[in-house]
This record gives sequence, structure tokens and C-alpha cells, in this order.
Amino acid sequence: MTEQKRSVAIHVPVLARVEGEGALDLRIDDGAITQLRLRIFEPPRFFEKFLEGRHYTEIPDMVARICGICPVAYQVTAAQALEKLFGVELSPWAHDMRRVFYCGEWIQSHSLHIHLLAAPDFFGCSSAIELAKIAPQEVRRGLRIQALGNELMDLFGARSVHPVGVRIGGFHGAPSLDRVREIREKLRAALPEAEALIRWVAGIAVPQDEQAFVSVAMQHPTGYAIETGGIAASDGLLIGAEAFDTHFAEHHEPHSTALFSHYHGQPYLVGPLARLNLNHARLPERVKTLLAETGVVLPSRNLFHSLVARAVEILLALHEALRLLDAYHVPDSPWVPVTPRAGVATGCTEAPRGLLWHRYEMDAEGRVLNARIVPPTSQNQARIEEDLRLSLQNFGLDQPDDALRLHCEKVIRNYDPCISCATHFLRMNVDRG
Amino acid sequence: MNSVCIFGIGSPSGDDQAGWLTIDALRAVGVQCDAGILIEKLDRPGAGLIPLLDNAAWVILVDAMQGSGPAGGIQRFDQKDWPRYTKGLSTHGFGVLDALSLARELRSLPSRLDLYGIGIGSVLPGDEAGLEVHAAAQRVAAMIASSLKG
Repeated sequence: MTEQKRSVAIHVPVLARVEGEGALDLRIDDGAITQLRLRIFEPPRFFEKFLEGRHYTEIPDMVARICGICPVAYQVTAAQALEKLFGVELSPWAHDMRRVFYCGEWIQSHSLHIHLLAAPDFFGCSSAIELAKIAPQEVRRGLRIQALGNELMDLFGARSVHPVGVRIGGFHGAPSLDRVREIREKLRAALPEAEALIRWVAGIAVPQDEQAFVSVAMQHPTGYAIETGGIAASDGLLIGAEAFDTHFAEHHEPHSTALFSHYHGQPYLVGPLARLNLNHARLPERVKTLLAETGVVLPSRNLFHSLVARAVEILLALHEALRLLDAYHVPDSPWVPVTPRAGVATGCTEAPRGLLWHRYEMDAEGRVLNARIVPPTSQNQARIEEDLRLSLQNFGLDQPDDALRLHCEKVIRNYDPCISCATHFLRMNVDRG
Repeated sequence: MNSVCIFGIGSPSGDDQAGWLTIDALRAVGVQCDAGILIEKLDRPGAGLIPLLDNAAWVILVDAMQGSGPAGGIQRFDQKDWPRYTKGLSTHGFGVLDALSLARELRSLPSRLDLYGIGIGSVLPGDEAGLEVHAAAQRVAAMIASSLKG
């Protein structure tokens, strides 16, 4: 008997509920994928052009506007790139508090993604509202953790959405000891909640979907890289931010207004799982112990372990914030003076969704001549397409259309992509060939 | 616990300040934070709104509303109408009605919830709100002040 291979055309015209605009085209002919495109058709935002001519003092607040979820990443990356060019030596206080500020962003962004975006997929729910019917305590806990992350961002940024605390040379202000004492207690109280979160997430059944890919993340000799370190890859690469262009290349694909990135000509992964794959040995001991209990073996080749990676990074960020805030003091000045100079500034940090790289060419007055920003989602775009192709084959192309669609959604959401810094659910039409 | 929490929701972008202007207008007519009332401006709280609902028996929310109506129009939203206006969940699109719907599932809604929407036009960052929105905020503030008197 000859098996009839079916042909299916799945068009997702709009990735729904997004700040950015994208779509998915999938065509299966005679049981083989003949077309798979994650189309990003949102008009370019020209942020880099907006920065041209702007004074360095304006840059942190401007780049914070790129993303409502990870503004700290944009601010800190820009500030550190310019500080390096200007020869600014931050005070140890400012160094530490930048990391704490960043921890707040990881906590809120990861908790939001786990509970409101990703987890519903694995419980057969279409939204967090549905998930709350069956896992109310877990959703409540997630919201508490997210709120704590926001509070930490507010502590240094004056607000959690598009914060304004960072300046070149440090921070505009320093929180009072009373406020820090208050948040320290909340951080301490959240530790058992974050540990419970790891156990809960590790217990969620995810597809066994092993794939080969290159992980790229920052690496630091002594700690888990967040805001400082070099750029490392799982094949042994370790470079400074200034060498990014030597190894990574962006190119335009006709179906996307976001640039694709390749590492030595191939797709690569950035984000929580890439970080954990490269840096798990640098986690605090308590976090390592819990991670070992999950049974996740690192480095992992299953992208669905990103859920566990985010939960682990929440606990790490809580520990790091507490460690640094336990030694908190109000400094004489939260910033050091800055004298601009002409030249090229490069810098990178680990945004919640992965490596974020900035390059600025500055004039002697401290104005931007040109800027380039490479966000994590554009770096992951080629990897998402590759993942979809491999994952669908593992899943089975003969699955019903609804199952294929849901699987595609899971795969894409798993990356927590920001199309123009957004994430999305798929709305799709199925057209059978 | 406060007996009444009044939250004006907004952002510093043109007419999106409608909720904040309502709080200003309330304060101007003498409604202030005291032992029983919390009155506060919120900047795009998203899911962060939910924990704030735990602290009151009566919550009054005012937010900007974009639709087909004119700028400055005022609408009250009953719970049964929420699904019609909820577009769904996303990282960036987690709006007030999404948060309230989730709060309802989590049984975090206060026993009384008054939700006001003010129709808006332009929301350009850094712009002032339009005159119609200023006037509507005054009217909503008067309605709230009146309801507080019982």
C-alpha cells in the first residue's frame, strides 16, 4: 500500500497581539517542508537614525524607548559603550548597582514570559487567564515575582517602564538606605518562591526535541555574565565587543524587515538557554543544586529547556541583587564626571532575550555620527526558522493542522521574541493544498 | 487596607495622560490620600495592577480609551462587557482589561470596581493632552467625587 503524503499550506497572516508585526508561512508538499518563513513585515523604526546628531547625555533615555520590557538592557549597553570610549571609570558602587538594576529587568521579564506567555502552551490553555483557572497559586506567585522585578527597576530608574535613572558615568540618583532595606527584605522573602518556581517549571512536560546549534552568550571569568564580559560561543570563541563584526554578520532577507544574523555563516542561539549552556558553572552553589535537581543536563540541546533556564536566571538574579544590596551604602555621588571624545564605541550586555550589541561613532563634542544596534531577536531569527523546520519534522508533518499551528506557536514563543521588541501569539488561516 | 483606591492610568504621551489628569482634577477638588483613600497615578502597570487590587474594598480606575468615539467621550465599563474589549495577552499589550480579567480568575477583584474610560485622540510622546481630554478628566473627577460622597 502506498502512503498518501499530504500537502498543506499554512499562512499566518498576522502574528497577533504583538507590538511588532510578523507572520509565518509554512508549506508542506508531499510530506516535506518546501517553504518556511518567519516574516517580519513591520516597517523599520529607524531608531539608529534618530540617534544621529544627539548628544551623549540623551542616549540612555532615548534607547530605553526601544523596548518597554527590556529598557535597562538598552540603557546599560549604550552607557557602557560610551563610557569605554570616553575613558570613564565607574565607581564600584555604580558598577554594582548597574548589575542590580539589570537583575530587576531579568526578574520581571522572565517571570512575565514564563507565566503570561509560555506556560499556558504547556497546559493546553490559550492564555494566562485560562491558566489561572487551573494553576492560580502559580500564576499569583509569578505576578508577585514580576512585580518585585519591576520594583527593583523602579528603585534605580524612577519608574519601571522606560526608566530614566541611568546617565553616562553612573546614575542620576541613589536610593535611600531605607528603601534599599525594604526591598532587601522582599528579595529575601522571594527566594523560596523562586526555588518553588524552578521546581514547578521543571515538572512541566515539554517536547523532547534535541537539535544541534551554536550557543552564543557573554562570559565573565568570575561570575554569571549579565552586564559585563566578553562574547563567547559554544565552539570556543571568546572575543571583546569590538570584534563582533569579525565573526557575526547581519544580512537582509526579502521576507523580513528585521536583519538576520549569522555566526560564521550559520544560525545561532542567544538568550537564557544559550547563557545557561555556557555559564552554568558560574551559578551560585544554591542555584546549581536546584538546577541539578531538575534533571536538565547542560549543555542542553532542547530549546524547550528555555523555560527552566528563565526560572533559574530569576533565582540567580534574586541572589545577585541581594548579595550586592546587602553591602549597599549611599555614595557621595552616584556618578562621575564625563568628558566626551571622538571615536567608535562598542558594547554589549545580556538582555533578557539574549546578547544585545551597540556601536556608536561619536564626534569630539559627544554627538552621535552613526549608530548600530543588534538586538537579540534579530540574532535569533534565523535560528527560529531553523528550529521550526527541525522541530516540525520531529513533531511529525502528518499531524493535524491545529496541532502543527500550536506547535509552531510554542516554538516561536519559546524564544520570547520581540518583533520591534514584542512577543506574540499566532493567528492563522489554514489553506490545504 | 484602604477602603477606596483610585488609580489614574496613563503615560506621558498626549491624550494618554487622561487618567493622570483625572487624578490631578480630583486633588484639585480636595480628594486627597487619607486613612481611607489611596489616590495614585499609575504608569502602564500591566499585570502589576493585579496586586494593587488586593488592598481595597472599592477600586476606581480611570484609563484612556481608544475607539471610534470622539476624544473626550466618557464610558463606564461593566464586567460583563470586558470580553468585548479585551484584545488578548502579549508582552506589550497586557492592558487594563487583560489585567482585570486575570484578576477575576485569581479572585483578586475588589467587591466594588468602577472603571471609567476617556476617549482619546493623539498620543505622541511628550505632547500635552488635548482640551477635550482635559475637560473629560474634570467631568470624570466630578463623577468620582460625587460617588465618594455616596
